Amino acid sequence: MGLRDILSGRKKLPGPKDDRLFALTTAAVTLQVELGLTCAGAAAITFKPQSSGEFRSAFDDVDKLLDAVAQQSGSTVERSSDEYGYDWIVVHDPQLEDLVGTAHTLASELTAQGFGEQLLAAMFKFDGGTNPVYWIYGFKRGSFWPFVPSGKDERDNATELELKAKLEHELPIEPDLTRWLALFDAPL
Amino acid sequence: MLLTSGLLGLLYVVFAIVLFQVLNVGLAPMLVIVIGIALFQFYTSDKLALAAAGAKVVSREDAPQLHDMVERLCGMADLPKPKIAIMNTPVPNAFATGRSPKHAAVCVTTGLWERLEPKEVEGVLAHELSHIANRDVLVMTVASFFAMLAAMLTRFGLYAGMWGGGGRRDNNGPPVWLIVFAVSILVYAISFVLIRTISRYREYAADRGSALITGAPEYLMSALQKISSQMTLIPNRDLRQVEGMNAFFIIPAKVKSFSSELFMDHPPIEKRLAALAEIAREMGRPVA
Repeated sequence: MGLRDILSGRKKLPGPKDDRLFALTTAAVTLQVELGLTCAGAAAITFKPQSSGEFRSAFDDVDKLLDAVAQQSGSTVERSSDEYGYDWIVVHDPQLEDLVGTAHTLASELTAQGFGEQLLAAMFKFDGGTNPVYWIYGFKRGSFWPFVPSGKDERDNATELELKAKLEHELPIEPDLTRWLALFDAPL
Repeated sequence: MLLTSGLLGLLYVVFAIVLFQVLNVGLAPMLVIVIGIALFQFYTSDKLALAAAGAKVVSREDAPQLHDMVERLCGMADLPKPKIAIMNTPVPNAFATGRSPKHAAVCVTTGLWERLEPKEVEGVLAHELSHIANRDVLVMTVASFFAMLAAMLTRFGLYAGMWGGGGRRDNNGPPVWLIVFAVSILVYAISFVLIRTISRYREYAADRGSALITGAPEYLMSALQKISSQMTLIPNRDLRQVEGMNAFFIIPAKVKSFSSELFMDHPPIEKRLAALAEIAREMGRPVA
């Protein structure tokens, strides 16, 4: 952040960086071959809705488009919101490419409507370990980090760090561990 | 804001020149002390403030909901996760501290958590995180540094006059210590007002930041209203306990009311609510 922002205070939220989402589809091979992790057929995108009517009507358009995209690729879409006031869009599809594609569509459409700053994260579920493995993509950071919940409010840091070490070269992994946001109550 | 910062900068330059011209001996050791204190305050600001408030840093196990809430807001604001502390007092309030986003702490009182709805707590937390994002401890440390310097010089000038036998350079003009004394008092008075002007501006900026992060300024508005109305319902003993932390708090815990806005470090609640209402009207219009 620049000196001007420091002096005047930030006027905007950081915008979304959705361009590196697709890196996950190439990393999927390594995930399967080296770690035995396969796509669990579910992904979720979470964002903070604004209370303004303009946001609601803009989002309705995006939502309709999402249904159209889902129909084309044969995936199902669910919507929910959590106790912290974030909205979730959960996509079910056996193909990881379709999941990533849907997440990207939602992100770029919301950005096109002028509400890209509201995007928080996309989350992709993988099976094959003792606990489910999630790859979280932070829209503000433009990077991925692993999230392995091992119980209520506990995460398996050892496995997460191992995943980071194994995939560092293929996936843009968030280097700053303090940014590895946890999403325990994700609806997927 | 820019005007006041500019004025403050100008004032410091004038102050430095006067110092250099009038008092060119004995200054070095004093400067070392003053700068040393300012640096110490700056680098330990997170621990100092938490210790001064008697706040306890809590882990995820102690307060999972609070951790979840802060983590997500940090995700929205693109900030590293700060230390999270809880202060055990029924007064509903919150503050943030720390020299940089990487060395920051955010503290809420038990009263805030118990008396406010989760969405209102979220608005308050987002306000505090905006302080961290805007680097308000850095800004206020720099702003207060010269006021502190002036205050010390005032004392220094006074002692020099009493014990040093005047320190006259010529017999026609007034004694040097008197000039230093007068200038220092003036600098202190002006920077006192300017610091508070900057502080009020930073509060508006953090309110705006909170509205952006949560997307719902109405919850911060109701939180501010609740905090300020409940403040008066709480016995004075509790208020006085936390009064030393006022500059940090989202709403100062005042035992007495102030006479003029010029001397306040927070804007009056009505003006903050009006500014937030304006932001709420603006917010529907996307910027892109």
